[in-house]
Formats: sequence, C-alpha cells, structure tokens
Amino acid sequence: MQEIIEKLHQDALAQLAEAATLEAVEAVRVDALGRKGKLAEISKQFGRLAPEERARLGKLLNTAKQELESNIDSRIAALESAALDKRLESEWIDLTTPAPGIRPGSLHPVTQVQKELEELFRSMGFAVLDGPEVESEYYNFDALNIPGDHPARDMQDTFWLKDGRLLRTHTSPVQVRGLETLKPPLKMIAPGRVFRNEEVDASHEHTFYQLEGMMVDRDVSVAHLIYFMKTFLSAIFKRDVTVRLRPGFFPFVEPGFELDIQCLICGGKGCPVCKQSGWVELCPCGLVHPAVLRYGGADPEEWSGFAFGLGLTRLAMMRYGIDDIRLFTGGDLRFLKQF
Amino acid sequence: MKFSYNWLREMVDGLDTSASELERLMTIKTAECEGVEEVGAALADASEAIVVAMETMGASHNRKATVETPRYGQKTVVCGAPNCRVGMRTVYLPVGKKIIEGIESDGMLASAAELGIGRDHSGIVELHEPFKLIADHVIEVDNKSLTHRPDLWGHYGMAREVAAITGNKLVDPVRAELPSSDAPIKVTVEDFALCPRYSALVFENVTIQPSPLWLQYRLEAIGLNPISNIVDVTNFVMAELAQPMHAFDADKLHGGEIIVRTARNGEKFAALNGESYELDSSNLVIADKAGAVALAGVIGGAVSAISDSTTRIVLESACFNASSVRKTSSKIKLRTDASMRFEKSQDPANTIRGLKRALQLLQEVSPGIRVAGGVVDAYRPQPAPAPIALNLDWLDRKIGKAVPAVEVRKILESLEFRVEETGPREFRVHVPSWRATKDVTIKDDLAEEVGRMIGYGTITPTAPLAPARVPPANEERAFHHRVRETAASQGFSEIYNYSFISEDRARAFGFDPAELVQVANPIAADQNLLRPTLLAGVWKSIVDNTRNFDSFRLFEIGREIHKDREIPHFTAAIFAKDDGMAGLLELKRLADCLLRGIRVEPAAAQSYEHPQRAGDVYFGDTRIGRLFEFHPRMVESGRAAVLDLDLPLLQKSQPPVARYQALRRFPTSAFDITVVGEARATIGAVQSAIPRSSGILSIDFLREFELPDGRRSLSFRITAGASDRTLSSEEVGAIRASAIEALTRSGYESRS
Ligand SMILES: [Zn+2]
Repeated sequence: MQEIIEKLHQDALAQLAEAATLEAVEAVRVDALGRKGKLAEISKQFGRLAPEERARLGKLLNTAKQELESNIDSRIAALESAALDKRLESEWIDLTTPAPGIRPGSLHPVTQVQKELEELFRSMGFAVLDGPEVESEYYNFDALNIPGDHPARDMQDTFWLKDGRLLRTHTSPVQVRGLETLKPPLKMIAPGRVFRNEEVDASHEHTFYQLEGMMVDRDVSVAHLIYFMKTFLSAIFKRDVTVRLRPGFFPFVEPGFELDIQCLICGGKGCPVCKQSGWVELCPCGLVHPAVLRYGGADPEEWSGFAFGLGLTRLAMMRYGIDDIRLFTGGDLRFLKQF
Repeated sequence: MKFSYNWLREMVDGLDTSASELERLMTIKTAECEGVEEVGAALADASEAIVVAMETMGASHNRKATVETPRYGQKTVVCGAPNCRVGMRTVYLPVGKKIIEGIESDGMLASAAELGIGRDHSGIVELHEPFKLIADHVIEVDNKSLTHRPDLWGHYGMAREVAAITGNKLVDPVRAELPSSDAPIKVTVEDFALCPRYSALVFENVTIQPSPLWLQYRLEAIGLNPISNIVDVTNFVMAELAQPMHAFDADKLHGGEIIVRTARNGEKFAALNGESYELDSSNLVIADKAGAVALAGVIGGAVSAISDSTTRIVLESACFNASSVRKTSSKIKLRTDASMRFEKSQDPANTIRGLKRALQLLQEVSPGIRVAGGVVDAYRPQPAPAPIALNLDWLDRKIGKAVPAVEVRKILESLEFRVEETGPREFRVHVPSWRATKDVTIKDDLAEEVGRMIGYGTITPTAPLAPARVPPANEERAFHHRVRETAASQGFSEIYNYSFISEDRARAFGFDPAELVQVANPIAADQNLLRPTLLAGVWKSIVDNTRNFDSFRLFEIGREIHKDREIPHFTAAIFAKDDGMAGLLELKRLADCLLRGIRVEPAAAQSYEHPQRAGDVYFGDTRIGRLFEFHPRMVESGRAAVLDLDLPLLQKSQPPVARYQALRRFPTSAFDITVVGEARATIGAVQSAIPRSSGILSIDFLREFELPDGRRSLSFRITAGASDRTLSSEEVGAIRASAIEALTRSGYESRS
C-alpha cells in the first residue's frame, strides 16, 4: 500500500507540473485530494490494517497530502503571476501623450509685480491701503501741497471730470487718506491705477500703475529713507542695489529726491540702457512735507516721515523686458499668456 | 532750459571743471541735467580773413576769392556767397582742397550756420569786431526740475549754484548804474498784487541792426533765435538774469503813460506772433491810452513792436504775478520764454538789475544810444521775508547725519543766505529775495539746501529704531488676489482694460450716458465716459482675441465707476466655437469654486445677451452677479459666455466658518425618481419643488431626455438617512411617496 501511496503522490506531482491552467491545477487537486479523490479512496482501506501499520501509513499519507497541497498553492501562484504579467504587458501607455484638460491661465504681469511687492512690504510691517480712482481735487492736489495756481499742476496732465472731480494722477492722495485712517506712527503702501492725460505711444500711457509708500514716525531722516529704499529695492531686484539720491522737486516732499539705482545691466560702467551714465532713474521720494502731515492731521513738530512712489508698470517692463507699454492694457492673450 | 558752459564760466571765477563733470555735479546737487552738447566745434580751426581780391568765373555764380588770414596765410577759395566782396572781413575754415568748376579751392569762407554760431546761411559772416569766438558746450536741464526755482531760469542763478558746488567765486555781471533823473513816461499799476513791480527805461537814438556775432552765438547756443540788437539784448538779459524784458517802439505808444490793468471783457489784442486774442478781465495787460500793447508777462503787441525804423524804445523790466500769468498763458494756449519764467514766481527786486544789465549791453550793440531821463519804477514795497529759525540738532536729525555748524553756515552763505547765530546750535537764516518768492519758506527747505550740498551720498543708510508692529490686514485686497488665483488655476488669463468707454458703447450695454461719470477733457471724443461695467471692455477683448484663437478663457478684476461709488468687479469669459453650453457651465463651476453654494436663476435677457441664455447669480437671497452668453450678433465667430460678479457682495457672501458635524454612523438609502415636465421645465425648479425635510439629505440630478412630444424627462437620485438609526424600507418608501406627491402637486408627472 505504501507503494500505491507513493505512486499516487508522484503521479499527482507529475500532472501538476504539466498543468498549464488554473483549471488543470484544480483537476489535479480534485483528482488527488478531493473528497472522492484517490488519496481519500486509499485512506478508506486503512480500516483493515493493524493499528501500528495504520498509524505509519496515515502519517505517510498526510505528508504526501501536505506536500501536494503546497505544490498546488505555489503552482497556482506561479500561474496567477504569469497571467498578471501577461495582462500588464498588454496595458502599455504612451506617457508622452499630451495631457487633456484645461491648463492654468495667467496673471497679468503688473498683478504679479504688485502682489510680490505687497508681500514684501507687508513683511516689513507696511499696511496695504486702497484709494479711489476718482479722486477729489483736495486729496490729489491741495492736501499734497499743490494749490490751484501751482505750476506743479502742469507737471501732471490731469483728466478732469465734469462734476469737478478728477482721475487721480498719482497714488499720492493715499498718503493723506492713510494719515487720516491709520494715524501715526504708520507704515503703508498703496498700489493702484493712475491716469495722466497723455498721448499714448510705446513708452507713454494714459493709464498705468504706481505704488505709493510712506512711513511716519518720530525723527524719520534722510538716512532712514536711504536705508529703506536700498533694502526693498535689493529685495525687488533680488541683488544688492546701489542707490543714489539727487535733488528732485515734488511739492509734497521736502527735501525731495529722484532716486537712481546703479545700472543693473552694466554695473555702472555705462551702456545704452543707462544712456552711458551708469545710473537709471527709478523713483521719486523724499521726506513728507510738513504741510502734508498737517493736512493729514499729524503735527509736523512731533512726526516726520518719508514717502516714495514706485512705477509698477515700469518695474514690470524692466523685469520682463517689455518694450511697449501699450501691451499692458491691450488685452492681447498672445502677450498675456506669456506670464 | 539750456545753459552755455562758456556763459557760466564768465560768472564763476576760475572755473576749471569740465562741462561733462559740471553736468554730473549739477545733476546730483541742483537739478536734473539731460545731457551736454558741443556747439561751434568748427570755431577751433577758424581764422579771421580779409578778402583781398576777387575774380569772376565765367557764367558761374561762384567767384574766385583770395583771402589773407593771420593764421593760415594767403588762400584761394571758390565762394558762392553773394555778399562776398573785396575788403570784407570774414571767417576762413581750412576744410581741405577740392576742385570746384575747374578751380582749386583751398578751404572755404563760412556762413554763421556753417560755423554753428547762428542760423544764417544766406551769405558768409561779416566781421565788425575782433574774431574771438570759441567752441562751447550746452548743458540741458530738465525744466520740470526747475519748477520751484525762479532763479535758475537764468545763467546767473545757475552760476551761483556752480560757485557754491565748486567753491569758486561768483562774479556778478551787473555793473552799470541807472540815471536817477525824472522819468520821461508815467507808469500806473492798478493792482500791485498782479504786478508787484514795473520798471522801465526810455532810450533814444537807437539803431536797429543785427547783433554782434558773440551775442548771436550766445542766443543761438541756448536755442534762442537772434532777431535784432534790441530784441536780442532783452533775450540775453532774460537768459542771464531770469528777468524777462520787453522793448516797445516808444513812438508807437499813445500818450506818455503806461497803464498796467486787467483787460476789458472782449478787448481785442493783436500779438507779435501774428495771432489775435480776445481777452477778458482775468488777463493782465500793459496798455497805453489807445488800448492793450502787451499781454503782461506773456507776449508783446504787434503795433508797438520794434521795427527797422524804430529810433526810440521803452524797455520794460517788470514782475508779474505767477498765477495770473499762468492762467492767461494756459487760457490762450501760449507758453513763451517769459511766461514760463513768471509762472515760477520771479523776484521783484530783479527788475532793476535787468535794466542795469540791459543798459550796459545796449551801449555796446547800438552805438550812440542814449538813455532818456531816469528810470521809472512803480512798486509796492515788499516786506522782507521772515527769517527762518534753524536748530542744528533738528537739522542733524532730519538729515540723519551730524553736519558741523561751520559747514552749515558755509553752505548757506555760499548760496547767499544770511546766517546769524542766535544761540548754541541755533541759527536765524535770512532768505535771499530770489529764493523767497515761493521756494524757501520753512526750515525743511533749508534742510534740503544743506543736504544737497553736503551730498546725499555722504549720508550713511540707517535702519529706523521703530517698534515692530503687525500691519492691519487688507481683507479686500487679499480676497481679490484669491479670486485671481482661482481664476488663473482654472485656465483664465488676466487682462486689464481701460477705464474709459464711449457713449455708444455705454448705450449698447444699457446705460444712459447722462447717468455716468463724464470726463471733461477726454483723450479722444469716444473715451469720454468712465466705465460703469467691465462688460464693454471684456467684450472688446473677446472680439479682438477671436482673431488669434479658436477658444480661450480670460478675466478682469477692475472697478466699475458710478457717480456715487466705485465697485470692484470680477468678469470672466469663455470663448469657443461650439454650442455654448460648456462655456456657460464652466463659468458656473468657476462661480461655485469661488463661492460654494451659488445658484443661477434664469432671467430676462438684456439686449446684448443671448435671449435664452441669461441668468442672475445668487447666494442665498443676494444677487451677486450675472451669467450669460453674448448675443450672437455681438460675437459672430463663436460663442462667448460671461460671468460677471460684484466682488464686495461675493466677499460678503462667504459662508460662515464651518462647524464640525459628527460623521454619519448609520447607512443612508438612495432611490431614483424621474419626472416629466414642460419642454422648459428646469432642473433647479424640480429640485426646489421637493421639500428638504423628512430625512432627505441630497437631490442629485442624473440625466435628462426629451420625450417625443417635446416634454422634458428629468431623473434625480435622492439620498435619505437619519442620524440615529437606519431608515426602514417603510420610512424610505414614505419619503419617496411624499417627494412624488410634492412634485405632482407642482405639476410634474412622475415616472417610475
Ligand atoms: Zn548701464
């Protein structure tokens, strides 16, 4: 009987080795290990054997069953793995296929520069304020120490409205508005749209963007102004910037300055961009005129401050190398999608 | 304003700074210079010459001239100038030999234009004086940077700056004294507020002739046109002392009196420039008995102008009120060299200096000229400008640098401020009259004088010692940035449009131009209104971009401008060449991304909207915007869907901060129902017809069919559940029954 068991075992192993499908493996299993399988049939004959013999052959039979089951399991695993490999093999995808769906759009270049500056100034403790685009003569001129007959009014070609108001010619009105709402000490910026009644060409626009900045505290000096301008201009241009102040006339500051930065193209040696001077005029600034402080409700004997006006449109032109200012309000997606 | 380097050098003793270095110094210490240009370069090689012989050259208009030059010896030249004659003193230029009509010409005789000293090229220069002209450099200063400096509208003012910068000595060109005998004319100034001072001198035995070359050259170099000796002197004094002057032909004035008065309304005035102006009482005029002879501070009159036959002149040197001149000049749209200077508030003390300088020059350029009588000088005495108290500690704090008292004094005195020491670290500063009219009135102005002269570059940048504070937030701006980011992430590109629109466009978008904010001086007639909607601009951007793209998405954030307020709006658009549905729904999805829980309710269309594709965007009961497709008449090449949202309302409508709700512990049940409604039954109406009570958690639209009879079949999946148990099938059945009952009551037919 031992021989029969061993033969059945060997036969089943041989069949298993030949089984190429899960069904064939199952057939081998049923044939050998099923309830009515050959090994079960053999065990039925054990009743006639002596107890010692029965125990010995029972052990032998169990070992054979276990080995067979284990072989069946690994055979199944191998077949399943092969089947999976085969399926996956057929599932090739061309990953260079262009992805469908909508691509992100774009933010206007001035928006991008403006947002970056807002974050920069906020990190230095400046509040971000807004002012109206339709402004009163008071805030745009009078409160900035530019009375009605002042020739400085000719420096800014103004769009007047029929109701006597005007389109703000600069973001400076927010200086006085800011003094009124925030009260000193204060640090603020005010980015926004401004208007000048100028003919439009590649370098002139009647609609453009500025960023006004002001700090009012006790004993604010020219030295502080230079420090701030140098610090944030270095942050804007992402490199150490050399600045130079020279006299400039703006009625709402005293002293007033034009701020130049050393040409970033030639490093000050002279090139066409800086017209060989080594310097590029960047923004007007100065110490807040006592009259402006007074208009804003601050006592100039107690408070002093600096103010500056950055051209956001100009900064965007410098950053992206844009040579035609008209593109900013042209609405042409061929231009805008580049940013 | 152009400054001649040679002219400045005459008034700054020993100036040896080069023109280009001077330009740099003036830029960083005084006013912005825009460049240096060399003029009269040819003068370096030029030589005086006397024509000693001339021969004709056949039929040619050219002639062969032999000239004797002190510098190059005898030369033979071919000359075409009609005024060339034997014995003439002229100028020779060694430009090299060339053959002209068979004759070798060695060099040339030069016209004023060829020498760069004038505009005349009708003939060669005729010398009446020793030839001493040399090349010059002209430094151009940006006029805007001189707005506050009346004194810098003349060379002498700039020479004072240069002397202060370089430490050289300033030389005053005014040396003559005026005769003090009785004046031969009377001057009446009606209002000294409008004309603080009117001074004049009468000259007789005047000869009108061209100015000497040196004078023509000076004027030419700084861009003034030489005319005749008298006029050239007035211009020269103006360019030197910033004192505008005017010469009248004395014989063409009526009566022996000059009256400075406001014009009569409707008074006519014929000006020197050939134009005729109708004046009113806001204009100040110089008048004689017969009427206006000059528009004060702006331009002289035609009738009394200097002509070749003039023999007697009245030389006016006056000071006019800045704002009066500015108003007149801008009203008649005429800016002259005189008006530009008076607008800056000139110094009344300067009128007499102007006359003194003119007297010196006239004696040189008009031989035999005589002053008739004495100076007439009408003025109201001006109070001396109040001195300014300057505390030097304050000054140091303002500049951010300790400047020694001795240096402060030196700087101020070099600019001719008078400094008194009134106490320790205390100065009392007297402002010179030419800086006191408007420019320097407070101590901050003195801080500028000291700061610029020590050089701002000598100040060490210093961080302020201010306590750190968290700045107040700008929620609105932060919100706008979030909206921008969301739109951009959904494929929209940001555009900026102008704030101006035309009346036609306003009407096309449903606005009455009379209700809008109007620009008084628009850049163009069709840009005269401020935009009450972003739609007009966005529409134009859509149409423009259809030329380059078959489909695109764009948006703008900008302000609508209404008479009473400015409202920031968000306007987004999708253009595609399809049936238009996808664009509208994409925009609806975008709106939902911006504010979860918006809904769109169909509404009657405006004329620019597709009549069947317009709706209001709501959040709760608040209408926050509009969703529509442009009428196909407006966008012909495809479909353009638009979402227009009021940003303040959108921001205010943000849902409250979420509160956590316990996760559902019991399973929910779902069932589908299908209803049939009229052809235009809406999904939203069906959804809202089902009461939200009795355990219904959500009603989701599944699909729709159009039935053969045109009615619309709509299917929904309803999910129901309870927080404390699993609903029994009887309970779910009851929910379903009540939903169907509600729908039937609302006129829908239920299908199972
Ligand atoms: Zn450069």
